[in-house]
Amino acid sequence: MMLANVFTKTTRDRWKAPVIAVASLALLFLFGMMTYRDIDLSVYTNLPDYFKQLFGISDDADVASLAYGAILSGYGALTVTAIALTMGAATFAGEERDRTIGLLLGNPKSRTSVLISKAAAMVVLTAAMTLVLWVVGLVTPEILDVSIAGMHVGALMFHLLAISLFFGFLALAIGAWTGSPGVAAGATAGVLFVSFMGAGLFPLVEGFEDLAKAFPWYYFNASKPESNGIDWGHIGVLAAGIGVFSGAAVVGVNRRDLKDQAAGVSLIDRLRDHPLTHKVADRLAGSTRVSRIWIKTASEHQGLLFVVALLMFGFMGVMLGPMYLLIDDAMATLAEAFSPELLSLFGGGDMSTPEGWYQIETFGMMAPIAVMVVTVAVGARALAGEEARNTMGLLLANPVKRSTVIYQKTVAMAIFAFTVGFATFAGVVGGSLLGNLGMSIGNIAATSLLVTLLGLAYGGLALALGAATGRTRIATFGTTGLALITFVANGLLPYSENLSGLVKWQPFYYYLSSDPLMNGMHWGHGAALAGLFVVLLALSVLLFNRRDLRQTG
Amino acid sequence: MTDQIAIHTEGLTKHYGDVHALVDLDLDIRSGEIFGFLGPNGAGKTTMIRTILDEIRPTAGTASILGMDSHKQSVEIRRHIGYVPGDLAMYPNLTGRDTLTYFANLRGGVDWSYVDELAERFDADLSKKVGDLSSGNRQKIGIIQAFMNRPETLIMDEPSNGLDPLMQREFQSLMRGVAANGSTIFLSSHTLSEVQRVADRVGIIRHGHLIALEAVTSLRSKGIRKVDLFFDEPVDAEVFGPLPGVRDVTVENHHVTLSFSGQMETLLKVVTEKYRLLDITTQEADLEEIFLTFYRDEEEAQA
Repeated sequence: MMLANVFTKTTRDRWKAPVIAVASLALLFLFGMMTYRDIDLSVYTNLPDYFKQLFGISDDADVASLAYGAILSGYGALTVTAIALTMGAATFAGEERDRTIGLLLGNPKSRTSVLISKAAAMVVLTAAMTLVLWVVGLVTPEILDVSIAGMHVGALMFHLLAISLFFGFLALAIGAWTGSPGVAAGATAGVLFVSFMGAGLFPLVEGFEDLAKAFPWYYFNASKPESNGIDWGHIGVLAAGIGVFSGAAVVGVNRRDLKDQAAGVSLIDRLRDHPLTHKVADRLAGSTRVSRIWIKTASEHQGLLFVVALLMFGFMGVMLGPMYLLIDDAMATLAEAFSPELLSLFGGGDMSTPEGWYQIETFGMMAPIAVMVVTVAVGARALAGEEARNTMGLLLANPVKRSTVIYQKTVAMAIFAFTVGFATFAGVVGGSLLGNLGMSIGNIAATSLLVTLLGLAYGGLALALGAATGRTRIATFGTTGLALITFVANGLLPYSENLSGLVKWQPFYYYLSSDPLMNGMHWGHGAALAGLFVVLLALSVLLFNRRDLRQTG
Repeated sequence: MTDQIAIHTEGLTKHYGDVHALVDLDLDIRSGEIFGFLGPNGAGKTTMIRTILDEIRPTAGTASILGMDSHKQSVEIRRHIGYVPGDLAMYPNLTGRDTLTYFANLRGGVDWSYVDELAERFDADLSKKVGDLSSGNRQKIGIIQAFMNRPETLIMDEPSNGLDPLMQREFQSLMRGVAANGSTIFLSSHTLSEVQRVADRVGIIRHGHLIALEAVTSLRSKGIRKVDLFFDEPVDAEVFGPLPGVRDVTVENHHVTLSFSGQMETLLKVVTEKYRLLDITTQEADLEEIFLTFYRDEEEAQA
């Protein structure tokens, strides 16, 4: 059943992202552990139990468990899972999108065996990532002379492997049924997001703690594998999921027609087909959509924008307002227990105030991710995407300057960033009104504006990397990697005695360090982010003008 | 055809690291001319086209189109040209009409009744998404997009890829009509019959070097002929091979086929001295044979 060469080729095609991810995570881990080693940990051990549980801090918190909890089981788990998810989504459906599936199946091999070989590559690469992280998790403390007695690094990595394969196989199954890698990745990322939030939020709500068990992420770290070892019951749940998804994938891939068309069906296409909306949609989708480069660019990512904006508005905005009222009263007394510096390590914010609540839940991590998802998607593909699809030559055969193409695509990126920023603003305002939390609308607007500018700065970086190299992968992974590193550095650097001055040399500092939810707009910081964006844009023009266009295929 | 120059290159050279994709190309294409650019895969045809369109930048040398510098005035140039890239790719999610509208908006000066006329002529379905079209039907959209603003110069890289023979014929008649109205056509191709039918002149490129530049009529008049000789007894190939002007000898018993350039008298003299000649037919060689001949000469020169 296994086709060795299909397996080898898939592995060879996909090894880069895992290597980059694991290397960044190893650096982060080293860096994090160094920082934790330098600060007084008694603040952690004195935390209320509730808070410790929320952030995965064990009762006998030490340097090691903090580093494992925050870096490996937090960012690390999300990163590895996201990579497994992308691989799963592209497994079978990717070959259909690239129109290579016909050629591949022109050989005397069954669909099932191709599917299995490609899934095996995903499993092996994911396992390799966790294996390397395991080694990193064991070697780093040795180097830094930090004790890891009582830690089950292997158990944590085993749980990590299980959860990432769970989502990888979910994406694989959806791809196998739909033939669309975009749908598979998007839907699975949505499930991952809801699952991550659900497993984190429900334990906070009294009376609803058990609901967390409905979310797969719960079975990754609820049992604290790094302290308690492998929880075979939880692993069993994830394994059962993997089994069901693989079965579904085999059935799905065998029962349907193979796709031989690169064109997808977008929301606007559906509206165009519907008699009620036909006239308006036809004008929108037809003549209007292609009237300008920026409008066409915006229309290409409409689905992504719609989902992200909706999540930020509904889930991360409106819903969290009333939820704040449901949280255990214990939260209100937390403020006295520890210093504000410590809280900023977790995205900053004091859970006893609505502002702090929204800062930790929405603005600390999710809002930057949301804006960056859209800006990096548009920025990385703006130039490199057209080159990869061989359409840039045709586009530039028209009397438009290369710089005009960049500016037009940047307009689309800016509109996307501001849309997500506005959705976040509107959602949080809605949540504040609904929960009667009395937050300042002006301050919410300021924070939303800053996160929009932050996202644009990273979008500008993706654009510049694409302009320099013409490769979407370098633009996407380069920007994502740097964003991850700077985000963690922003949280940790202020606590390092020697390196704290470096914190101003990365963009996240100019986002929340002025505490805009409490203090309102910091125009200097806003200008710094906008300035960085403009510099990267100018750099993109310079780099793209000088370079030969790529031609692939 | 006039004496004005539509496309001009001078010492145009493009290296990719150690690969010399284009070497010292000097070329003048006259206005109103149909120029066929011939060469095998990887000879440098696409590199030349991408260089004069400013997609890639020359390592040395310059190019101009309609008197304008291909790099400094590239935007202005693109108001006056139509382009069909090799390995044509378009936006799969747009319909044919959306695609044409998009480019029309960027270009200006598109007469939609002409677009409809072209679509009808090529039997092209503009309402389907490009991604849902077969490669031939997609190619039609690419061709319409190049012609739709009635450009002064058309630059096309293997444009008839995927077209069926009927459509190829239609395309050739379109090219002839457009050229008759004064447009210049630069046609890169490895389909010799197409070039033979439409081109006024051909350039042959190999390993980045332009190895021949001739009017199609004068290529023909080079007098390469295909000759069939029939004898009353089996003959020996050795006799024909060394004769001056003789190539491609195949012997099948009594029947000899060869291509020949030179005085027919000398050939007949030698042949009739040795054997009894029963019958002889000769015909003008087509471009394909001329083309192959050029390549052999080049290879021999290199060897």
